[in-house]
Amino acid sequence: MELQLLWVNPIFVKKVIKRTNIKYNFFTINLINKERECHKEMNKWAWLLVLVVFFTLGSAALAFDPIPADDLKIGFVFVGPVGDGGWSYMHDQGRQAIEKAFPGVTTMYAESVPEGPDCARVMEQFVRNGAKLVFATSFGYMDQVIEVAKKYPDVIFMHCSGYKMADNVGLYFGRMYQARYLSGLVAGSMTKSNIIGFPAAHPIPEVIRMINAFTLGARKANPDAKVKVVWLYSWFDPGKEKEATKALIDAGADVIGMHADSGSTPQTAEESGVYVIGYNNDMSSYAPTKCLTSSVWDWSTTYIDIVKKVVEGTWKPENSWWGMETGIVKLTSFSQDVPGEVRALVQEEQEKIINGTWDVFWGPIKDQNGNEKVAEGQKMSDQDILSFSWFVEGVEGEIPVSQ
Amino acid sequence: MEMVISILAAAVRSGTPILFATLGEIIIEKSGILNLGLEGIMLIGALTGFSVSLASGNPWLGIIAAFILGAFITLIHGFISITLKGNQVVSGLAMTIFGTGVSSLIGKAFIGKTIPGLLKTPFPVLNRIPFIGPVFFNHDLMVYFSFFLVVFLSWFLISTRIGLNLRAVGDSPRAADAMGLNVNRIRYLAVLIGGGIVALGGAYLSVAYNKMWTESMTAGRGWIAVALVIFAIWNPTRAALGAYLFGGVEAFQLRLQATGTSIPTPLLLMLPYLLTVSVLIFISIGKGKGILFGAPASLGQPYFREESD
Amino acid sequence: MSIYFRINKRTSSSWLLSIFLPFISVLLALIGGSIFLSFLKVSPVQAYRGMFQTAFGDWYGISETIVKAIPLILSGIAVTLAFKATVWNIGAAGQIFLGALATTAAVRYFYVDNRGIMLVIMFLFAGIAGGGWAAIAGYLKARWNVNETITTLMLNYIAIHLADYFIYGPWKDPDSLGFPMTAPFPEAARLPQFAGTRIHYGLFIAIIFAILFWFIFRYTRWGYEIRVIGENPKAAQYAGIYYLRYIVLIMFISGAIAGIAGMGEVSGLQGRLQHGFTAEFGFTAIIVAWLARLNPISVMLVSFLIGALQVGGESLQIVMRLPIASTLVLQGLILFFVLGGEFFRNYRIRFIRGDER
Repeated sequence: MELQLLWVNPIFVKKVIKRTNIKYNFFTINLINKERECHKEMNKWAWLLVLVVFFTLGSAALAFDPIPADDLKIGFVFVGPVGDGGWSYMHDQGRQAIEKAFPGVTTMYAESVPEGPDCARVMEQFVRNGAKLVFATSFGYMDQVIEVAKKYPDVIFMHCSGYKMADNVGLYFGRMYQARYLSGLVAGSMTKSNIIGFPAAHPIPEVIRMINAFTLGARKANPDAKVKVVWLYSWFDPGKEKEATKALIDAGADVIGMHADSGSTPQTAEESGVYVIGYNNDMSSYAPTKCLTSSVWDWSTTYIDIVKKVVEGTWKPENSWWGMETGIVKLTSFSQDVPGEVRALVQEEQEKIINGTWDVFWGPIKDQNGNEKVAEGQKMSDQDILSFSWFVEGVEGEIPVSQ
Repeated sequence: MEMVISILAAAVRSGTPILFATLGEIIIEKSGILNLGLEGIMLIGALTGFSVSLASGNPWLGIIAAFILGAFITLIHGFISITLKGNQVVSGLAMTIFGTGVSSLIGKAFIGKTIPGLLKTPFPVLNRIPFIGPVFFNHDLMVYFSFFLVVFLSWFLISTRIGLNLRAVGDSPRAADAMGLNVNRIRYLAVLIGGGIVALGGAYLSVAYNKMWTESMTAGRGWIAVALVIFAIWNPTRAALGAYLFGGVEAFQLRLQATGTSIPTPLLLMLPYLLTVSVLIFISIGKGKGILFGAPASLGQPYFREESD
Repeated sequence: MSIYFRINKRTSSSWLLSIFLPFISVLLALIGGSIFLSFLKVSPVQAYRGMFQTAFGDWYGISETIVKAIPLILSGIAVTLAFKATVWNIGAAGQIFLGALATTAAVRYFYVDNRGIMLVIMFLFAGIAGGGWAAIAGYLKARWNVNETITTLMLNYIAIHLADYFIYGPWKDPDSLGFPMTAPFPEAARLPQFAGTRIHYGLFIAIIFAILFWFIFRYTRWGYEIRVIGENPKAAQYAGIYYLRYIVLIMFISGAIAGIAGMGEVSGLQGRLQHGFTAEFGFTAIIVAWLARLNPISVMLVSFLIGALQVGGESLQIVMRLPIASTLVLQGLILFFVLGGEFFRNYRIRFIRGDER
């Protein structure tokens, strides 16, 4: 650092240059720079000082104890805010159920973790703070789960809705499509215009599967029903959801389904006097008179079961896709507008599914263009269901095509 | 035709929060202060509006509270920019970060709740006019207030002495100071009132439009407002056009999907932004080269009255 | 006897002040943060301790901080370059996306099984794509005086949607079961990482660029010309500098560096382009550039500190069970205090007694 500053007044130098038309050169630049740069040099050292102090404090901080170890520590990675009343909220309810069922357990969670490299750090932090079990609750965490799991072979990772397993990575998910199918029955029965609107977040297989199950149910109850899909490209934008719902109502829909995380769709439906079928959580608080039913998650049984296995030492990596019979997905109570025969129909179909005598994606199923994709008597494999990339007959909407 | 009417009505509906934010920012920028913290201020306004409406049962109390709190919060930015003569770009960004964080924190208690909010009040006579009626006069009272604001501000900025003083301060604070105007006081006033109006945009979202509170519910509208101010060349009427253009294109794209289209949605989503830039280019080509017309000349620069030392 | 105070602009600042000012500002901010934290019923000491420990206490924390810092350094330099010429490039985020997209395109269509060559190709693609994207705004400004704040801002959004179009559509990984992500990059197309950490070779690029640009700004005629353009375009034209060419060139290079930041993130860190890729650091870079007072070397230091703030902030969530928004509030507070502190660097308060006016 040059403390031997040439205290040349830069203004004077500039005036000299201008008057005598001297072309600036290396020397004059240096002169002017020195005055200016000395401040910037100071600035560099200032930040360096800050850094040094922090480092010292950091190593001093190491002298204190880490978090005291306890029975079992579990980490949860949430993709949205736990207060969203939707996907992450339901997972958090499951987390709280674990705490109630196993009083010695400590749970930690991080919310609104973006899908991508950041979550690897979050998961590592859980492990470094003593977690022996980590739940990653969104598909987009897949790469990072595998990456971190490799580093810590004695920690168990459970990935929700993914498809990659490892010796210490298991998968878990729920067959929400079964509840969707049942709610579709209600929607199909209640529509008079035969047009059902569906604002949907992103064209990913999960959402496509929901729409398909919903449509299959709607058309079982009402073969003329059509489901119109509008893509929002956002999980959580109340304004957009409202406008999408309005657009669908304008296009003739008199029942609205939904696959997004805010209560805006049911609210708009209520305002416009149109029926709505909720998702994730009971949406009747947003649509007191118009919410026919909602297909909701209940992760408590699943989570408690997984933790039990881990505590007992019987955990194995497996892909468990829990069905309706376990209670992981269900329908909320019907609104009073739903007539008796519809309820009976739902009851009947639900029993078939729970008994295992039939499932939603058993043939015959045709696609949007009328081609038969699943023959009568055939069942779609789990793999195919998980990777749905086409719409069933009766859906009006586009899925982006990959090459 | 019905489709056009419903798209335009949606344009007015969803453009209103952006409009409020743009109008507030116009006032602030006219005085020479650049405020990039619109997202944060709108969120605080939304939270205040919702929470006070919920607690008191009266949406108007919520709206007034949002105005006051918004003005108060923007005061921080004003203090840094005017008195401390700090860098306004960074102060604005800090305001965005801070406002988002504070609203998210305090808002946790309010997620999942709803309020009856402001109801739609069709304007008595005017809403029967064919076409214009359903588009403009079938909304709630805050939308009508935004119309009033546009008209009022247009008149205020051009025809009143205070408005002229405001513009003088923004264009040349030195000359305004020499004229005897208290530059700092006028700037503070502009920041307060402008900030309050910006917060009204957020309050509209949570009290009238969505009647709920969720984190980050402004979804980037604050940034669009920043761009729209420039797009509108600091003119309130053009600001309204810009805001409705934005809302309209979004509504259009959704309806296009609902009626069936094979255009990939991400490309449709680009439309509002492409349109804004294109229109801006057209205007700029038309006006030719030159300094950025309409901009307050001292925008973003702190004013310091040199003392003879 | 009344006391007035007068505010005077400093013509030269005491170097003592220059060193300690940021330090004092941050300290005051931390104190302010403590008040805020105690509102949340959390012990500030414990919270700060946790933050320090996470970010600086062990090698993992430091390595993660560096990982966070690399894109900040690169985009910080990009923004610094533009700001020096008083061109407000708010579009770093969009240019980062374009860089990531171009990298993916390079891997998809121009793949070569040699790591060295592949990295060079990706580097060039990312640079040209990011640079071109920024140059659009630059050209519009230079030719028709279209305000660059608005064009770069709009181009951000357009870039994000463009990326979504490719991720959901033509470039979707057929093996990903339909989820929005591109196929994983082959080994040769990945920026190597230092063993055991996630620090990728983008660090080298960042450090080289920082030193390079520091040198350019300080010692070359070109750097001087950039500053002149920034401070007085008319004087620049008088001295014979072609305004139009320079603006476009400066924006191009600024965007190119940001694009390379995108390349680093996509090929060094994740290894594929996935929906959810954020370019948030494009906006943080503006704050970094300002805090570093447009000095590339300081940019490195400040990026490191901001990276530490983000990494440490996560521990607030995980260890202290605070919502993530509390990190944002802390960041905002720190910025406000540093901004306030700047006042004392530039101005001096004198107290005068009596009726002297």
